[in-house]
Amino acid sequence: MTHDQKLKAIAVRTRRRFLFSIIALAFYFSFSLAWTEPGAFLSLPLGDGLLNGALLMFILLIVLFIALEFLFLTIAKRELRKEAAQSEEQVR
Amino acid sequence: MKLLTTLLAIALSCSSLTVFAAGAIEGEVQRQPLNVSAIVIFLGFVAATLGISYWAARNTRSSSEFYNAGGNISGLKNGTAIAGDFMSAASFLGITALMFGAGFDGLVLSLGAFSAWPIMLFLLARRVRNLGNFTFVDVVSMRLEKSRIRYVAIVGTIVVVVLYLIAQMVGAGKLIELLFGLPYEIAVVTVAVLVLAYVTFGGMLATTWVQIIKAILLMTGVTVLAFLVMKEANFSFSELLRGAADNHPLGERMLSPGVAFKDPIQVATILTSMLFGVLGLPHILMRLFTVPNAHEAKKSAFYASLFMGYFYLLLIIVGFGTAFLLYNNPQFFDDNGQLLGGGNMAAIHLSNAVGGSLLTGFMSAVSFATILAVVAGLTVSGAAAISHDLYAEVLCKGKPDPKKEMQLTRITTLLIGVIAVGLGILFQNENVAFIATMPMVVAASVNFPILFLSLFWAGLTTRGAIYGATLGLISSVALIIIGPQVWVSVLGFEEPLFPYNYPALFTMPLAFAVAWFFSISDRSERAGIDRANYHSLLIRSEYGEE
Repeated sequence: MTHDQKLKAIAVRTRRRFLFSIIALAFYFSFSLAWTEPGAFLSLPLGDGLLNGALLMFILLIVLFIALEFLFLTIAKRELRKEAAQSEEQVR
Repeated sequence: MKLLTTLLAIALSCSSLTVFAAGAIEGEVQRQPLNVSAIVIFLGFVAATLGISYWAARNTRSSSEFYNAGGNISGLKNGTAIAGDFMSAASFLGITALMFGAGFDGLVLSLGAFSAWPIMLFLLARRVRNLGNFTFVDVVSMRLEKSRIRYVAIVGTIVVVVLYLIAQMVGAGKLIELLFGLPYEIAVVTVAVLVLAYVTFGGMLATTWVQIIKAILLMTGVTVLAFLVMKEANFSFSELLRGAADNHPLGERMLSPGVAFKDPIQVATILTSMLFGVLGLPHILMRLFTVPNAHEAKKSAFYASLFMGYFYLLLIIVGFGTAFLLYNNPQFFDDNGQLLGGGNMAAIHLSNAVGGSLLTGFMSAVSFATILAVVAGLTVSGAAAISHDLYAEVLCKGKPDPKKEMQLTRITTLLIGVIAVGLGILFQNENVAFIATMPMVVAASVNFPILFLSLFWAGLTTRGAIYGATLGLISSVALIIIGPQVWVSVLGFEEPLFPYNYPALFTMPLAFAVAWFFSISDRSERAGIDRANYHSLLIRSEYGEE
């Protein structure tokens, strides 16, 4: 890859880094809503059992973060393959 | 009476909240009878880890091998070691205690501890790995004026490591007294001697394996414990929650937010300190250099969060399991209605309730092993700050005599061990809650801002970084002092001048703002070099050295 191509790729990667981080941080801090009045509905049980929205939110946040990480790694891997193919083409 | 007991239990549990960050066990402890099965299992762990240290010592000949295990650890192993380094005894005992007393609110700490890892992967893993060699100080000094920024970053590292170490050693003494019935001083000396044996001879390689073994043991123990709890609840999560609410003195309220924490800002302060604190912990960041490349560093962060996510999800079962199975069982309470040994024993009593003395012994031994793994990581990090960051890079201008550097590394390790014992004994009767809070707040307010800005902002200058870090340090220490933990609990005033225990929500933005202001107003010659360095290092930060 040329210097300019690398810089372009870095700009794309940096935007992606921030996008994933902002999504994760937004969900993360939304957890504190459960302690506010507008978020009081999260304390209500879902259905007949005692599982409430706040507890479900905790579980889903952990699962969501792991899924986001997996997605991030998958995109990065695909991009790496693409860059390697590009470099090979240039060498040819 | 029952309500009074509950409130006391909650108060006790809340004290463990503050110490979770650094993993200490706080408050009065009641020494338990000598636990033979725990000691036998623990001795097995010690024998295995000492054997590994002996092997590691033969593969640790240079300073590089000492600091980063030669950079040959795979992403999976490193991720497991990170999980082992970070899932402290108090993650297990402290959060469970908090859930036993206050129910759902204990989960705030679980989420805080876990959620740093996605951000570590998205933002830091690749660039930190590509720019540094052994410590995060390497990364920030890469583009800034080396000597001055290194001094500041070394101070940040040493402050965090020493405070973390005090909290760990005091916590270790109390925890081992609690679990094993051993005297406090013997417990502290035992921890120091074992850690020195691992680190002095085996360096990062031995530390990595101690952390891997401990992570596997802890996750196995918690899995068995959660399985047995679910068996008691007929493998029904609804039945577990129903049982917990029926037996807990607060009833269904314990399943909802608002028992230990009333204020969303209070929750936000904890979330901020926990997440950004982890991202600035030097001994955690150091683990990113033990892998061969940036791809493995990213995999490390992913595996670490996978293991920790699993662990913290199981803690929901364990935490509510304590309420379900302990409150209706008088054998775990004394005549005054207090849980035997205090709130931090909730998880251990639960082990006894569902798995008998063998599981109790196993979980106690794992808790001890946990402390060793954390202290070993801290010791390597502290030794690297002195021998690599200060001696090799500042005093020898990056060209040290390798033999002398290695000698200094081992001497520093021994010194840290001696200091740890001294501080552990000195602080044994002190309220260490505030000391345990400080490392996370300082790491979030000093280390994280300069690391983040040096990686992502071209405008950062040496002057801005120094002012930002210094103000971050001063403000975080000052706000902790005038906060509830020191102003009220230690100094005895009636009301705190600042209402929150974890001030990073305020001090971290301050550090960022100060670093920004003093950078953009910097017209010095050095500022131009610092800004130009960002662009010249950008490709290396993403693509590695070419």
